[in-house]
Amino acid sequence: MVDLKQQVFGVTFQNPVLLASGTCGYGEEYSDLIAVDALGGIVTKAVTPEPRIGNPPPRVTETPSGMINAIGLANVGLERFKREKLPWLRENLRNAKVFVNVAGKTVDDFVTVVAGLEDEDCFVGYEIDVSCPNVEGGTLFATDEVALAKLVRALRPVTQRPLVVKLAPNVPDIGVFAEICAEGGADGLSTINTFPGMVIDVEKRRPVIGNVTGGVSGPAIRPMGVHATWVAASRTNLPVIGIGGIRSANDALEYLLAGACLVQIGTASFVDPHTAPTVIQELSDFCERQGVARISDLVGALEV
Amino acid sequence: MKTDRRISRAWCEVRTREQVAEDTFWLELAAHDIAAHAAPGQFVMVGFGANAWGSPFLPRPNSVASVQGENIGLLIRVYGAGSRRLTEMRPGDSALLLGPLGTRFEIGDARKVLCVAGGVGLAPFLMLRDWLKRTGSSAEVHLLYGEQTGAAVFDPERIRSFSGLDAEIWTEDGSVGREGRVTGGADLAGVDLVLSCGPTPMLKAVRTLCLDAGVACQLAVEEHMACGIGTCVGCAIETIDPDTGADRYSLVCVDGPVFSAESLRW
Repeated sequence: MVDLKQQVFGVTFQNPVLLASGTCGYGEEYSDLIAVDALGGIVTKAVTPEPRIGNPPPRVTETPSGMINAIGLANVGLERFKREKLPWLRENLRNAKVFVNVAGKTVDDFVTVVAGLEDEDCFVGYEIDVSCPNVEGGTLFATDEVALAKLVRALRPVTQRPLVVKLAPNVPDIGVFAEICAEGGADGLSTINTFPGMVIDVEKRRPVIGNVTGGVSGPAIRPMGVHATWVAASRTNLPVIGIGGIRSANDALEYLLAGACLVQIGTASFVDPHTAPTVIQELSDFCERQGVARISDLVGALEV
Repeated sequence: MKTDRRISRAWCEVRTREQVAEDTFWLELAAHDIAAHAAPGQFVMVGFGANAWGSPFLPRPNSVASVQGENIGLLIRVYGAGSRRLTEMRPGDSALLLGPLGTRFEIGDARKVLCVAGGVGLAPFLMLRDWLKRTGSSAEVHLLYGEQTGAAVFDPERIRSFSGLDAEIWTEDGSVGREGRVTGGADLAGVDLVLSCGPTPMLKAVRTLCLDAGVACQLAVEEHMACGIGTCVGCAIETIDPDTGADRYSLVCVDGPVFSAESLRW
C-alpha cells in the first residue's frame, strides 16, 4: 500500500494532487463529476474584496498544446464568498484541503481579503495571486521586487495561516522572487502562473481575446513550470507547489522530483474532469511499480 | 430555461460517420447516458482526453442533433484543425463526451412555433419532433433553414426523416431553395414562439425581428469555451438581469446556450 500523504505547512494532505485556482470554481462545480473530497485539495477561484464581473468576451481560445484565457478575475467578492461559497466547502470537504486564492490590485486589497477571512474555518491557507496577467496592474507585484516584498511583509502579520505566493513565470530569474517571498515571511510558493500571450485573427486583424492579451496554460508551458519549480525549490527552503501543464502522473512526478511537495492540475481538468483522480491513481501505481513506499520520498529526488 | 444537471462523462464509440454536405459530417456515437437525458438546444463537449496530442486540445461544444436509442447524432462542420479531427473519426474510434450540457429550448404551451436555422445550427431542430412527442406538445412547427451555398445544404429528405419537418431552404447563392438570407422567410403572422440557432449575425437579425413584432423568441448562442460546465468562466455573454435591468455577464455553457431574446444585451 503506497503512502500518498504529504505533510506540508503543518497540514496533512491525503495525496499531493490539488485543483488549481480558476479551474475548479469553488469546488461545487465539479461535485457531480468527481469525488472532490478524495483529492489532496482545491484552490478556490480568486477572491477579491469586491465582486468583479470579469473581462469582455471572447475570454478563452485554444493555443498549441494549451489555451489562452483572460477571465479578468471574475468572482463573487469577499462577502458573497463567505456567505455563498464557504458553506459548501465546509459541508462537503472533510478530507480534501482548501486554499483560498486571494487577488487584488493594491496591498490593501490583499490585506482586506485575508483579514476578512481570518474568522472563517474550513480552509487551511491562502494562495496569494500576485501574478494574474489579465487585470490592470495584475503582474505588478509578481514582476516588481520591491512591490512583492512590501506585499508579503504587509500580509504576514495579518494571519497565522500558511501564505503561499503564486509566482509569475515571466521574470528573468524566478529564484530572486522566491527568495524575496522567503525573506518576507511567506510559507510556500506556487510555481507557475500562466504566461502572458496573444492570439491574433489575421483575417480580421484583431486579437482573438477580448482583453487583447491573456495567459497561456496547458502542456505547452510544462517544461517552464518544472524549471521554475526546480529553481524555487533549490534557492529557498520553502515548500513549493508545482503547477503548469500537468495531465498525467508522469507530469506530476516531474514536478515532484524537481522539488514540488504538492502539485496542482489546472487546464487538463477542462479537457477531462477526471484528470486529477486519474493522476492520483497513476501516482500510486507508479510508486508500487518502482517500490517507492511513500510519495514524499520522491520530492526533490532528482539526480543531476 | 435552467435544466437539471445530469452530466455524464464517458468514452463513446463512433457508430456512424457520413459526409452529408460540403465540409459537413453526420456522426453517431454510442452515448447511453447522454441519450437518456438530452434535449434540443443542449450540447456535448467532444474531445480526445487529457493525454491526446495535437488539435483539438480543448474539447469542442457540439449541439445534440438526434437521439436514437443509445446513440446521439452530431452535425459537425469543418472550421479548423479541431473540428477537422472530429470529423475524421471513423466507426470504432472513440471520443470523450461530456453531457448533456446547458439549457434547452422550452416550447411550453406555444401553438405555432417557427424555427430559424443557419448552417449547422440546424442540429437542435432535427430532434424537435421526438422532443415534442415526449413533452406532449401539439405545437405546429415550421422550419426555415439557411446556408451560404447550395453545396452546404443538408439533404432535405434527411431533414424530413429526422425532424418530421419540410424545411424551407434558403441559400445566399440561390443554388438550392429560395435565394437570400433565411431571415427573409420569417413570416411571424400567428407565430407565438420563434426558436433560432446559427451564426451570431443571423441570431441578431432574428432577435430584432421578434422584438419588433413582440413575438417570444429563444436563441441558442455560441461562444468559445474550455470546460462546458461553468468552471472556466470563459464563455461569458452580455445579458440583462431580469430583476434589476442591470447589465451582467452570463455563461453560455450553464446559463445558456438557449437564452430568451430579450435577456441578451445585443
